[in-house]
Amino acid sequence: MTKLTSRRGLLFGAAAVSAGAVLTGCTSNDPDDGDDKAAADTQPAADDKPGKPVTIGYAGPQADHGWLNAVNDQAKKRAEKYSEITMEITEGSNDTAQQIGQIETLINKKVDVLVILPADGKALTQVGLKAMRAGIPVINLDRIFNSPQAYRCWVGGDNYGMGLNAAHYIGEKLKDKPNAKVIELAGIDNLELTQQRTQGFDDGLKNYPNIKKVARQAAEFTVESGQSKMAQLLQAQSDFDALWNHDDDQGVGALRAIEQAGRDDFLMVGGAGALSAFQAIKADSGVLKATVLYPPTMAASAIDLARALGQGKGVSGLAEFEIPSTVTCYSAVVDKDNVDQYMSTGFK
Amino acid sequence: MTQHVSPPRDGTGKAAPLDGPPAWRVRLGRADVRTLTLLGVLAVLVLIGGITQPDSFLDTHNLQLVLTQASVIGVVTVGMTFVIVSGGIDLSVGAIVALSSVWATTVATQEYGFAGILFTAIVVGVGCGLVNGLLISFGGMVPFIATLAMLASARGLALQITDGRTQVVTVPSVLDLAERDSYVLGIPPLVLVFAAVTVVGWLVLNRTTFGRRTVAVGGNAEAARLAGIDVRRQRLYLYLLSGLCCGIAAFLLIALAGSGQNTNGNLYELDAIAAAIIGGTLLTGGRGHIIGSVLGVLIFTTITNIFALNNLQTDVQQIAKGAIIVAAVLVQRRTASTH
Amino acid sequence: MAPEPPLLSMSGITKSFPGVRALDGVDLDVQAGEVHCLLGQNGAGKSTLIKVLAGAHQPDTGTIRWRGEEVTLRSPIAAMRLGIATIYQELDLVEHLSVAENVHLGHEPTAAGFVVRGKAAKASTAALLKRLGHPEVDPGRLVGDLSAAQQQIVSMARALSHDVRLIVMDEPSAALDPDEVDHLFRIVADLTADGVAVVYISHRLEEIRRIGDRVTVLKDGRAVARGLPAESTPTRDVVALMTGRNVEYVFPERPTAPPAAEPVLSVRGLARHGEFAPLDLEVRPGEIVGLAGLVGSGRSEILETVYGARKASAGQVLVDGRPLRPGSVRAAVRAGLGLAPEERKAQALLMLESVTRNVSVSAMSRFSRGGWIDRGAELGAARKATRELSLRPDNPSVPVRTLSGGNQQKAVLARWLLRGCRVLLLDEPTRGVDVGARAELYAVIRRLADEGLAVLLVSSEVPEVLGLADRVLVLREGRVVHEAPARELDEPRVLDLVMEGSPAS
Repeated sequence: MTKLTSRRGLLFGAAAVSAGAVLTGCTSNDPDDGDDKAAADTQPAADDKPGKPVTIGYAGPQADHGWLNAVNDQAKKRAEKYSEITMEITEGSNDTAQQIGQIETLINKKVDVLVILPADGKALTQVGLKAMRAGIPVINLDRIFNSPQAYRCWVGGDNYGMGLNAAHYIGEKLKDKPNAKVIELAGIDNLELTQQRTQGFDDGLKNYPNIKKVARQAAEFTVESGQSKMAQLLQAQSDFDALWNHDDDQGVGALRAIEQAGRDDFLMVGGAGALSAFQAIKADSGVLKATVLYPPTMAASAIDLARALGQGKGVSGLAEFEIPSTVTCYSAVVDKDNVDQYMSTGFK
Repeated sequence: MTQHVSPPRDGTGKAAPLDGPPAWRVRLGRADVRTLTLLGVLAVLVLIGGITQPDSFLDTHNLQLVLTQASVIGVVTVGMTFVIVSGGIDLSVGAIVALSSVWATTVATQEYGFAGILFTAIVVGVGCGLVNGLLISFGGMVPFIATLAMLASARGLALQITDGRTQVVTVPSVLDLAERDSYVLGIPPLVLVFAAVTVVGWLVLNRTTFGRRTVAVGGNAEAARLAGIDVRRQRLYLYLLSGLCCGIAAFLLIALAGSGQNTNGNLYELDAIAAAIIGGTLLTGGRGHIIGSVLGVLIFTTITNIFALNNLQTDVQQIAKGAIIVAAVLVQRRTASTH
Repeated sequence: MAPEPPLLSMSGITKSFPGVRALDGVDLDVQAGEVHCLLGQNGAGKSTLIKVLAGAHQPDTGTIRWRGEEVTLRSPIAAMRLGIATIYQELDLVEHLSVAENVHLGHEPTAAGFVVRGKAAKASTAALLKRLGHPEVDPGRLVGDLSAAQQQIVSMARALSHDVRLIVMDEPSAALDPDEVDHLFRIVADLTADGVAVVYISHRLEEIRRIGDRVTVLKDGRAVARGLPAESTPTRDVVALMTGRNVEYVFPERPTAPPAAEPVLSVRGLARHGEFAPLDLEVRPGEIVGLAGLVGSGRSEILETVYGARKASAGQVLVDGRPLRPGSVRAAVRAGLGLAPEERKAQALLMLESVTRNVSVSAMSRFSRGGWIDRGAELGAARKATRELSLRPDNPSVPVRTLSGGNQQKAVLARWLLRGCRVLLLDEPTRGVDVGARAELYAVIRRLADEGLAVLLVSSEVPEVLGLADRVLVLREGRVVHEAPARELDEPRVLDLVMEGSPAS
């Protein structure tokens, strides 16, 4: 049971984290997209024109969370955009052994490039190595393999950056307030990503000596736990100025607890980039003023990188002949001013 | 051969000597001793909470908060207590709560408003309980396996319905149930439901033929069968009852969290079993106490509350919870053996 | 006998469990190199005695001497260290381990104190199996794959893997076919030739005659005969000791006129494969019908089948001329049947509950409305029913487990009295009941019959059946071999009937 839970937790962990700024030139959601295209003229960089046919094998986990659904959608839609790309998509599985089997099948089919979002990064390292040795380059999405030899390129989000950016946003809002207090509603505590987010948040707050973190409780990335832990935090802290919540899903519960307690005396920053959070930010009717992204669009970028890899090209906008070996997506802060631009990436 | 035969005994042999319980204990009753112990534990916790956080702990809002948080798992625990008393186990309660809460909050269901959500939550809960009961009573499956299978399937179905998405409730009358404006004399409606389920559960277990049959089946299924009790039907009803409690709990959770999610009810099975056990219900069946179970739930909820108010982290909370379970069971074993 | 002290000498062993005195001052002497047979009916105290000997139970009083020295057998390990090994009827082997692993379980040959030397274990196991005349059993095979007889050999090898001086065998022949039994006896003979003593427990008198040296008979937790010569004691005497009385009870008077009413219970051609042959019987209101027979005669099985607790393979049970739904206890109870089963604690009583709740469990609808129990009425009814049977203590609120055996039995009878049942099925009604309390129980049963109940009684004690029943059916190996009014039968006649075909004495 524990195992089930922790795995579920892991999924939510990844999910929790949400949409951000994406590699320049890789996603159509990026506002600068158009400008950068012209930059590539001397090197074979991937562009929107059809090129050599590429078969991409895509293996992801079971989409048991909105974020993972969004990731799968992003990948599929991106692939549909290119006529020369054929996608071999496996049925999502949370079972490590099953996912290994699926990937081995893709290796045997001799796909050109593999995009893998492992159910468990550590456990799937071996099959990543196997693919690389078989000459099939691997794009490792989000949950990182144990060994850099197991992937050609890793694309993922920035958990530490989420905390850091949340702290900066809150810090700027409260910098003129003496003795400001903030509280933190974290995700599942035994996940590394939760620790990274908290570390980033704490480090970011150090820039603002007037702000003190007075309380932190860990929820479980679920609505139910968000409501429960937030209710207790509100009872414990009768007076504070800002709240950072790691995950918009548990944020639904947290907002419910805030509503039930009738509190509106602080500002709240979320995390991940759920559609409901974007809508609340846009409406500006409650405490939720911003959310820090962990972008599902990273999957679209992974497809672009896989395509470039398959066609032996680099990335437009970058000087190298090859694609980078790691791509860490930026955890942008979405608030009322820029929410419209991100609305379409929000997941349900 | 006569010299080998032992001399006949006269017919006045008396019953074998027996060790009876001390008189005071007979008068007080083991149940009362246990209830007092649990109340004592709760009192100590209240003391700790009051000393460490005098302002935020000893406060009406906090009392309302603790009771509200206890309500959902409390209702599940009442149903679980019945199942355990009968010598069974229901590992699927958390999954049934998840499935009920998800099914009752789909867009289609929400169109039918309050009644639609309530009806669906309860029907789904009872339906899952029915499947459990049929598998166990007539399919001859061990409760552990049957309900484990239900756990997996119900969670899977819940996921399939939601695709992992959070289904936000937009029916105001449901949401109102968990909001301050609807408190009755300061008591949250959720807590009223919990109290009602507790009272009804206590009455059914202690004052009805249904409760007696449950205890008989758990105490000695063979004796119950030979006494003319329909053991299989009784077991079926018990899993139905547990499913019903899960349905009610799911409805409460929908109101409380304002949403349905496939992760709802995470590990409820373990919390409910733990609460029942520290409440004095025998895991082997034949003896159970609704009041003890409810006190068990309150103890766990209060611990969580105290830890949160003191800003202690999850790891410490979990250690404390484990320690409480061990301590409670050890204390009970001691009182049982001195009986 | 040798002048030296006996290998084992138990004296005055007493052991009580709540509600029953299982052993009541038992003495047992065993000489080195002899086969000492332990005889007795179910519940006579044999298994308790061997558990005391194996160190699994601690006696309340009494002393155990081993080669003349007083010893305390605190645990099975302590007994094993002395050289006492027990082969239980339910073989205590681990099915998923190999033969060698089972034989050496708990005392594996090891290197450096913890590394199990599998080869050494296999070799020594093979040697033991050879000594037992079964070299064909592969020490590497899983025990679960072996036949019952082979498993018994493994059990024996395990006993011999210790330096064993005394082996206790609890009904070792029960699961064996005749060839295998012959082989078993050869092994026993070899062992005794080596000076090992064997305590042999069996129901089969002819076996005892074949291999036994001396016989001790247990009854009601007491040794009613000790050290009888196994070969020369007449079978009838042995059976009489097992089934008979050492106290003459005053059985209640029978009614002068036999009951004339129509039978309330009729059994027609009822049979169960492998248990009992088609059976016909009738019981009238006011009549007590007894079934007499030895263990294995099918008596309990018949009672449970009549009650619907076992499903008949043929025939039917009629109450007031209406057939009962087969295999349904509920149908039987609804029609007015009530069973006081042989194993009271396992089959009848809710040991955690009060007397009241035990008495009321079958008749809850009497004092409940819409499922709601009127506890005042319940207590009143339970009190009335238990008082009628003079159940002691006169307080139905006490837990039933604190009652003596006889009073626990009364609680079961009170249950059916309260239910208003019309046919009472009694399986060994005085099993585990203190001798002093029996006469009272007999009077109660007769009074219930006089009040119009039909009673079907099963007992392994011939005098009990003869003294209590109006009519007696004698069973042997699942067949009724004789039926007659009780007053026309006497104990020797019944003993002849139950043993017909056994080797003459």
